[in-house]
Order: sequence, then structure tokens, then C-alpha cells
Amino acid sequence: MYDFQDQIGFPILTVMTFLPALAGVLMIAFMRGRPNWYKTTALIATGANFLLTFVILSAFDHYTADRQFVENVPWIKSLGISYHMGVDGISVLMILLTTLLSLLIIPASWNYAKDKKELTFFAAFLFLETGMLGLFCARDLFMFYVFWEVMLIPMYFIIGVWGGPRRIYAAIKFFLFTLGGSLLMLVAIVAIAWLARPNPYATPVFDMDLLQTTLFSWNVQYWAFLAFFVAFAVKVPMWPLHTWLPDAHVEAPMAGSVILAGVLLKVGGYGMLRICLPFFPDVVSTFVPYIMVLSIIAIIYGALLSLVQKDIKKLVAYSSVSHMGFVTAGIFALNVVGIEGGILVMFSHGLLTGALFLMVGFLSERVHTREISAMGGLASPFPIMAGFLLFFTLASLGLPGLSGFVGEFLSLLGLFTYNKAMGAVAALGIILAAAYLLWMFQRVMFTGLRDEKWRKLPDFSPREIVSLAPLGFLAIWAGVYPNTFIDLIHPPVIKLTERLAPYMADGGSTIHNIFASLGGF
Amino acid sequence: MAHDLVAIMPELMLIVTGMVILLVDPLLPTEGRRGLSWLGIFACITASLSTLISSADEFTAFNHGIALDKYSVYFKVLLLGVAIIAMLLSEKHLHLKKRLLGEYYALILFMTVGLIVMAESIDLITFFVGLELMAYCSYLLAGFFRYEERSIEASMKYFITGAFASNFLLFGLAFLYGTTGSTNYQEIGTAIGAGEVPSSVLAIAIIMLLVGFGFKVGSAPFHNWAPDVYQGSPTPAAALLSVGPKIASFAVIIKIFNIMLGSESDTWVPLMIALSIATMLVGATLAIVQRDLKRMLAYSSIAHVGYLLLAVIASGQSARTMGTSAVLFYLAAYAFMNMGAFGVLVFLENRAGSGDSLDEMAGMGRRFPWAAGIMTVFMLSLAGIPPTAGFLAKFYLLASVVDAGYTWLAVVGVFFSLVSAFYYLRVIVYMYMRDAESEIMVTGEKSWDLSLGLGIAVSGVLLLGILPAPVLNAAQNALEKVLGY
Repeated sequence: MYDFQDQIGFPILTVMTFLPALAGVLMIAFMRGRPNWYKTTALIATGANFLLTFVILSAFDHYTADRQFVENVPWIKSLGISYHMGVDGISVLMILLTTLLSLLIIPASWNYAKDKKELTFFAAFLFLETGMLGLFCARDLFMFYVFWEVMLIPMYFIIGVWGGPRRIYAAIKFFLFTLGGSLLMLVAIVAIAWLARPNPYATPVFDMDLLQTTLFSWNVQYWAFLAFFVAFAVKVPMWPLHTWLPDAHVEAPMAGSVILAGVLLKVGGYGMLRICLPFFPDVVSTFVPYIMVLSIIAIIYGALLSLVQKDIKKLVAYSSVSHMGFVTAGIFALNVVGIEGGILVMFSHGLLTGALFLMVGFLSERVHTREISAMGGLASPFPIMAGFLLFFTLASLGLPGLSGFVGEFLSLLGLFTYNKAMGAVAALGIILAAAYLLWMFQRVMFTGLRDEKWRKLPDFSPREIVSLAPLGFLAIWAGVYPNTFIDLIHPPVIKLTERLAPYMADGGSTIHNIFASLGGF
Repeated sequence: MAHDLVAIMPELMLIVTGMVILLVDPLLPTEGRRGLSWLGIFACITASLSTLISSADEFTAFNHGIALDKYSVYFKVLLLGVAIIAMLLSEKHLHLKKRLLGEYYALILFMTVGLIVMAESIDLITFFVGLELMAYCSYLLAGFFRYEERSIEASMKYFITGAFASNFLLFGLAFLYGTTGSTNYQEIGTAIGAGEVPSSVLAIAIIMLLVGFGFKVGSAPFHNWAPDVYQGSPTPAAALLSVGPKIASFAVIIKIFNIMLGSESDTWVPLMIALSIATMLVGATLAIVQRDLKRMLAYSSIAHVGYLLLAVIASGQSARTMGTSAVLFYLAAYAFMNMGAFGVLVFLENRAGSGDSLDEMAGMGRRFPWAAGIMTVFMLSLAGIPPTAGFLAKFYLLASVVDAGYTWLAVVGVFFSLVSAFYYLRVIVYMYMRDAESEIMVTGEKSWDLSLGLGIAVSGVLLLGILPAPVLNAAQNALEKVLGY
């Protein structure tokens, strides 16, 4: 039972997961009233985690779909629950996103929470990082659920304590929506864990590696798929379960929005890849048409709503709904290209929307409004900021050469293979994205300065540039040379499609065709 | 004879200590009475140690009146722990209210004896004697602040509904005795299994028992007394009243419905399903409109009774022990989190003179960071969020329900637990996200007893959530051999 594989001398995943929480506890216990101490501690902890990500990346074997850095220790023996951690390429990509964003928000909100329980503000983000990393590392379904819920609590506090005027409404709505979905998931977890037992006297099975080779009866798969899917769809969020998202984003503090959009939405897509597809391969194709329609509605609906938003933060929030539609559409196209596209959209959306929310935060810290119509002509007092905003706007609308393009292109390619008409409609989403993002940029940055006193305000400080530059750098990298990231996720995606292929109507022939015709990445 | 006395050693310790407290109490000045709670706590610790030491022997005593098996050991230790926490929570509160009297602790000790006798009984008469001992002590505890109208109201209401419930129970038990000629669970069970009891009589008996126990545990539609009683009772007593009787009643419910009426599960399971859904509905929805935290906790405890009934239903599936061990584990988790939540209210009443209303919770996060922090843990645990005891208990309970084939009931259960999450979250909202309307005046002094009690409760909640294996194993092993005869 005790099992440690490919270790690099120490249980790196455990260290990584619990380091931020430990730092948070130390901060609360010993550093009350010493702002520089606790802020530095937060910076060191998240920075160390970011460096640990590179330790993982350097020791990571790109040619296998197996879990690596596995740690497996029995936890609750009589229920078959173990402390089981391990990562594959998809997890590593998500971990990279998590540690990067968790690090960047610390300098970005260095002065954000002054006089507002600043210590607990930073501690909450550290606890949140523990929850997110634990989720991406968990290989035990029980642990997966525990971390899934643990993530909720800090985010609930972040929105509810440090948010805007309607923060309490937004925090409770966020919590109850997610909890509603995840309680259904809990019933499904219990059901499949107990059904997967080889005999009625055996302990339940929570090992995700074992569960994804188990085949449940059609009926069980059907209901369990639905329960898990609803839980993940709330998080993604898919239309029509998205209504918590605009409220949460508008009310959340800047750093909260960054993590919410950058990582918390991704756990939905991650869950679909990890659980919905490999656990219930039989029924996936039954649901695909509905999921596709919902994804396309999300793409178009999110884009249309972004067009009419007056609040710049709400605009970015609705654009997330639209972009995440590409994620679900790509994943449920059920071919290699589509799934890889979906994952890359998740990664790129994490970078770009994270950056856009930071930009919005920095902007409204200066002009004290988020109304697009109240801004205007800001390019002349803030030229550096305008440059950054233009860059992230272009990347987000899918300019070739930047990360947004690669993911959306692959995901659309996958969608076209599934259904050409649907692909065509979804492609409209990219056009609409160009419309609402450029129009937003134009109204905010050009069209004459509204208020002369803005001229005296400072442009970007080095602190702000430092918190945005890494995101821009990765966006260029992923746009110019996406192979770095595709190589990482390719083996697990192939393994996933191999699991699905026998259950497809056409025997899985479409899964690899298109991939072969592209000559492979 | 000697054998019987050895069997009830823990109970005797409690009774003798209670008597000693009553005797020395009038001789002591008010200040001196503060040590009396530690006398009681010492008795409880000794009693649980003696229970644990002798837990290897399994036998029945008092002519098959009580069973000493792992099942009773589990409940005895749990109930003694509840009594210890209750006494720790009480001392300062009674002192501040100028009602620090020895009989309070004597009543808690006698009540604990009644609870233990209920849990270990395997005979209808023994069970009923235990129940009445427990009940009379609890009526007195509810009315202990006899200068407060609400406390008297609570006591009267509790007494009248309690007496009513006892009569229903007795009526049901009389039917069973009359038709089988025995008062022993196992013998009655055998007779019923052999079809010696006419089904009409059996149906009446089952309904009477369900009504009686429904009153005792506060399940809908027999729950009306609970909010008034918890609100009116002294808060530390309410902590005990909301936990102790439920634990012991469920110990008996499990035995009676599985050992005695196990063969009749087709009759009582549908009734209990209806009872359980009604209870969850009432508990989850009516708590939302409460502005008084003690009333809110009363409705929340009603909702938890609904979940516990789900597991009892699961235990009705023969050859499945999971339902029963889920009840056992859930009761342990519930004891810690519910007593803890009441304990924080005691703390706030002591330190800030608060009147338990939700509005008075505003700003507590800033004024009392530790108390608010642990209240958050208790609320999350009651809502069933990991990594707390409440989550693991809910998880295990749902597993037992799904395993017994009632997946739809599990879905109903999680729906109501989503509804209840709303009002638990609201407490956190008030503590952290709203500012106090006026400066909170800190009155009263610190109490180490209270802090220790809260510390035990919060560590219990976290330990059961993170390292549940020992208690979970105990809850599972308790069912290896439940002595019926």
C-alpha cells in the first residue's frame, strides 16, 4: 500500500500543496501587525512553489501518460481511502498556471487590502493555493472532493470580506451554486466507489487510476456522469449555470477575480477530463450533442452579453463564459485535437483573463470607476498601461502568434470534425470577441480624455509591470511555440482518447484522423 | 449480585459523586462551589476510564436488563464526553447568572446515568427507567434559571411534551409486552419473527413507538417543543439537551428497530422515510427564518435528526451494518459540533452579554477572533464542508444510504443539506462581513473552563474530519456483536 514512485528525494507534491497553508498558519500565528513580514512570507511561499513547479517540469517524463511523483499512503483504511497524489501532463500544466497566478497576485495586491484585515487577506490566498494544488494532484476521489470543497471556503471569504458593495450576495450565491453541484457529485462519488467493489465485503474503491479502468453498468454511468457533469458545469461555468459568475467577478477584489477566472474555472474543465470522460466512456456520446449545443450557446451568448456591458469587469467576466465555451466544445469533440485545444484554451484563458482582470484592477485603482463610458482617452496619461492592455486584448481575441489563437484554433478544428455547422457558428464567437474587446479598448483608451485630473496620475509602476510581464511572456511563448505545452499534455490526451475510442459510434476512427492529417504536433 | 454491581460501576461512580455534590454543596461558600464542576468532570473521566478498561468483557447483567458490549462502550464514552464538555461550558455562565449551585452538576451526572442506562439497555423496562431518569433531570435543567420566565416556560413545555411522548412510548411497549409476554428485545424479536404477534397490533405498536421516539429526538411533526426549549434553557444546558437525549434515543432506536422489529422493516421503513423527509424539510426551511441563534440551532438539530433517520432507514436493510455505524459516527460528530456551537454562544453571552440574536453576531470576527474562528469551524462542520467531522459523517451516512439502495433518498438529503448551508453561512456572514452597529462592550472575565471545553470540541471536530480512523473503526467494531440477550 505504501507507495512512492519517481521521487526526487522528497515528496514534492505534498510539500508543494501544503507549503502555502503552512505559511498562512505561521502568518496568522506569529506575524499579526507586521505587514512587511507577512507580505514577504506570502511572497516567499508562493515564489518557492513557483520554483518547485520548475523542479517538477525538469524531472518530468514527457513521454508517458502515467502518473509521476506518486505518493500513496492509506488514510482511512476501513473505507479504502488513501492519501494518493500524482501528476500527469494535464495536471502539471494546471499546476504551472496555479503557482504562477498565485505568485503574481501577491505583488499585484501589495497595497490592496490596507486597513482591511490585510493579514487574513493574504492568508486566504495561501489557503486557496493549497486547495487548488491539492485538487490538481489528487489521485483519490475522496481527496479530490475534499480539496474541491476546501477551495470554496477561502474564496467565499475573499469575495465576502474584501469585495464590493454587493459582496455578501455574491459570496453566498457563489458558495451555494458550487455546493449544490458538488453535493450531487458527492452522491455520485459514494455510489461509484461502493459499486466498484469487486465483492460486497471489499472496501470501497476511491483510487482514480482504478476507477478509470472500471466499467460501470450503463444506467450507473448515465446518472453518475450527469451528477459529475453538473458539478463541473457550474464551475466552468456552462450556460445556463453561469449566473453566479458575473456577480462573483464584479464583487470580488482584483486578486480574487484573477484566481477565480484563472484557476477556479479551470477545475471544471479539469474535472471533465479527469472524471466525466474516462470514468463513464459508454454514455459520453449520448450527452455530447446536448453539451455541444450548450457550449455554443455559451460562446455566442457570452460574447453578445460582453458587447453590451457597461462595467468593464463584467465585460471580462462574460467573455470568460464565452471562452470557456471553447473549452467544453473542444473537450467534448472527443478527438485529440479538440481535447488538446480545450486544454490550451484553459491555459491561455488563465493567463490572459488573469492579466485582463489585473489590468482592470490597476485601471480602476487609478480612475476609481469601472464604467466604460466614464473612462476614455486613458492612453495619453497611461501609455505603458495602454500598451499592455492592447497586448492582452489582442491575445484574448485570438491574434495568431499569441496563446489565445492556438487553443481556439485547435478547439474549433476539433469541433469542425464533430460537426461543420456547429464549428461555423462557434467561429462567430471569435469575431464577436474581436468586436467587444477592441470596442472596449477603444472606448477606454482613446476618444478623448474625460477628466483632466487623470493626467497627473502615475503610469504603471515596476511592481505592476512585474505582475503582468510573466503572463505576457508565457502568452507569447504559447503562441509562438505551443509544442512545449502540447508535448506535455499529449500522452495523457492520447491515453484518454484510447479509453474512449471503443465506445464511439464510429469505433473512434475520427479520433486520430485529423490529428494524423495535421502531421502531428 | 457482585457481578451486576461491577457491570454498573461507571453509573455508580456518577451517582455517588452526584450525591456527594448535593451533600457538600450547602456547606460551601459561593466561591467554593466553583470546584464542584471539576468533581463531576473527575467522576466522568474515571467512569469512562473504567468503561474502557473493562471493555474486553462482554456480558449481560441485571437478569438481561443491560448489555455490556462494544456498542454500549461506544455510547458510554461518547455520553460521558458530552457530560464533561457540558460541565466545562457551564461553570462561568452559572456564576455570572448567580445560579452556581451544586444541584446543577448533580442533575447533569444523574442525567448522564439515565442516558447510559438507555444506551446499554436490552430490556423494555430498563430502557424506560433510564429514559425517565434522563427526562426528569432534563426538565429541571431546562428550568434551572427559575427567575427567568423563558426558562420556566422551557421547563414546562419540555415536561408536558416529554410526558406525552413517554406515554406514547409506554403504550407501544405495552402492546409488545402484552402479545409476546416478554420485555427482552431479543425474545420479543424472536416472537415477532415467528409471527406470534398479530400484524394489526404490531402496526399500532410501531406507530406508537415512532411517535414516542419522534417526540424524544425532535423529529417533525413532533418537533415543536425543541426551539422553545433550547431558547429558554440556560445555554450550556441547551447544549447538553440538544445532544445527550438524541444520542441515547438513537442508541435505543437502532436496537429496538433492528433487534426487535428487524423482521418488520417493511412496515417501519416507509413510515420512517416519511418522517425523515418531513424532518429534514422542517429543519432546513424553518431555520432560515430564525433570527435567534439558539432557535436556529434548534431547527438545525432537527435537520440533523432527519439525516440520522436516513441512516436508520439504511440500517433496516438486513445484513448491512453500515447504516448503524453511520449513525454511531454521525452522533459523535454531531456531539462535538453542536455542543461547540452552543459553547460559542455561551462564550458570547458571558463576554459580551449578547442575547444570541443574529444581529449581535455582527463584528464578532474582529472583536473575538478566536471565538469567531472556531464558530466558523462549527458552522462549516454543521454544513458538512470538509475537512471537518460534519463532512465525514455526512459522507459516511450518504454512503450507507446509497449502499442500502436508496440513492433517491440520498439526493433528497443532499438537497436539504444545501438549503441548510445557507443559514450556517449566514452566521459566518454576520461575524466577518458585517460591522457591528455599536461598539461591542466586553464585560465578564475569561474562563479557562469554557476555553478548554471549546478547545475539546473544536479539536474533536477537526480530528474526526482529518484523522477519523480510530472513531470510525470503533463505530464499525461496535457492531461486531451486539448483545440482545
